[in-house]
Amino acid sequence: MVNNSEYNLSKSNEIMSNPFVDVSVFLFFEDISDKQGVEGFTNYMVGQAKSLAKSVPEEEYDTWEDFAKAVDAGESVFSSFETIRQISKNGFVTKTCPFSKAIREYIKRLGTFNPVHMEATDHYNHTIQPSAAHSACMMHQTYRNEIAKRITINGKSLNYAQIGAKAHTGEIALPPDSWKKVLLEKAGISETQGFMEMRENSCLYVLYIEE
Amino acid sequence: MMDIALYSLVDDMVSKAGTEGVVEYWLRVGESYAERMGKEAYVGWPAFNVAMKDGRTSLTIEGAVNVLTDLAITDKDGDVIGYVYALKTCPMAPTINRYIQKIGPIPDSDFDVADSYNNRVRDSAVSNYCITHQKFREVAANNITVAKQGLECLHLANKGRLGEVKMLEEHLVKINVDERHIKSILRSSSCVFALVVKGKTAGEDTVE
Repeated sequence: MVNNSEYNLSKSNEIMSNPFVDVSVFLFFEDISDKQGVEGFTNYMVGQAKSLAKSVPEEEYDTWEDFAKAVDAGESVFSSFETIRQISKNGFVTKTCPFSKAIREYIKRLGTFNPVHMEATDHYNHTIQPSAAHSACMMHQTYRNEIAKRITINGKSLNYAQIGAKAHTGEIALPPDSWKKVLLEKAGISETQGFMEMRENSCLYVLYIEE
Repeated sequence: MMDIALYSLVDDMVSKAGTEGVVEYWLRVGESYAERMGKEAYVGWPAFNVAMKDGRTSLTIEGAVNVLTDLAITDKDGDVIGYVYALKTCPMAPTINRYIQKIGPIPDSDFDVADSYNNRVRDSAVSNYCITHQKFREVAANNITVAKQGLECLHLANKGRLGEVKMLEEHLVKINVDERHIKSILRSSSCVFALVVKGKTAGEDTVE
């Protein structure tokens, strides 16, 4: 049974989803993969994240500080579905994966995750970019990438790049070493600091505008 | 966030598979969801109704349910063959509210898919999610036995976000419950359904 106090309202009066719905969306994707394979699963996951981002209102900020402050306070569309913390000028972390509750509920109600989720994740990592730790990351990272395009700071479009993503199993998806070095530099943090952040958070990424 | 994605997913699916395709997907999801929950057995109606109240059955994962024990359904011999239950809050309600708050108006595809289902399958959906939810309940009920007898779920009525009501007359007739009574239950709930012993029919005394 759904505990309304837990799922409908958090401490900050945020409306929370009913996990019954969350789990059924995972099953919807599994059904898509039955009919259209892992490629269909991945395409739909990515496609719907793009559509969702297009429905979100655009934003403009005068300065980088204004934007970072809005993200930190949960007032930007970038932080609509997650609590984000700024760790350096361009480095940001998400403490709790917004899909973690849905993943936990799936495991609690139905058991082990259908392997197709990992197959789709591998497909995404090999064909789009090596940054997903779970199938939900495909949706989340695509959404972030698309939503960044709808935000301007001092007239310049925001850019987003994923550095690390941690799965519910504890595994961390990281980019190849050559990318990682560039991204960590862009975020202004060392590799050790990056790992320290990944111990406490679920996602580490860089947000920037072209200077 | 997974739930919010549902609307854009359905929007995308409608453009690729049409509303009929989405209805088929949702029906299969409801079925596989319920099948994966497994089977349940209860020694009798009191045990089952307590489990429903406590939220321990596969049916109550959708949310808290009012067990209307005053609405016992009896057969012609006066034996109890089932009860009426009311789901307090639609599982989609938080998602709908959050979508409106964070994104904007609910996409037309939501209503288009519900219409496709209402016109082709059964006139009982107020949103596209009702399709999978109602199917889930029906299949989950089939996996439950009470006193070694299999159950059947009869969807009776549901209420949309804007107050629109869908009511299945043919199911009300099956259990001899008056429509006015169900409407009064819907005032404080979002969905009303009956669980009855499979193959049994109610006696002729109408519950009003």
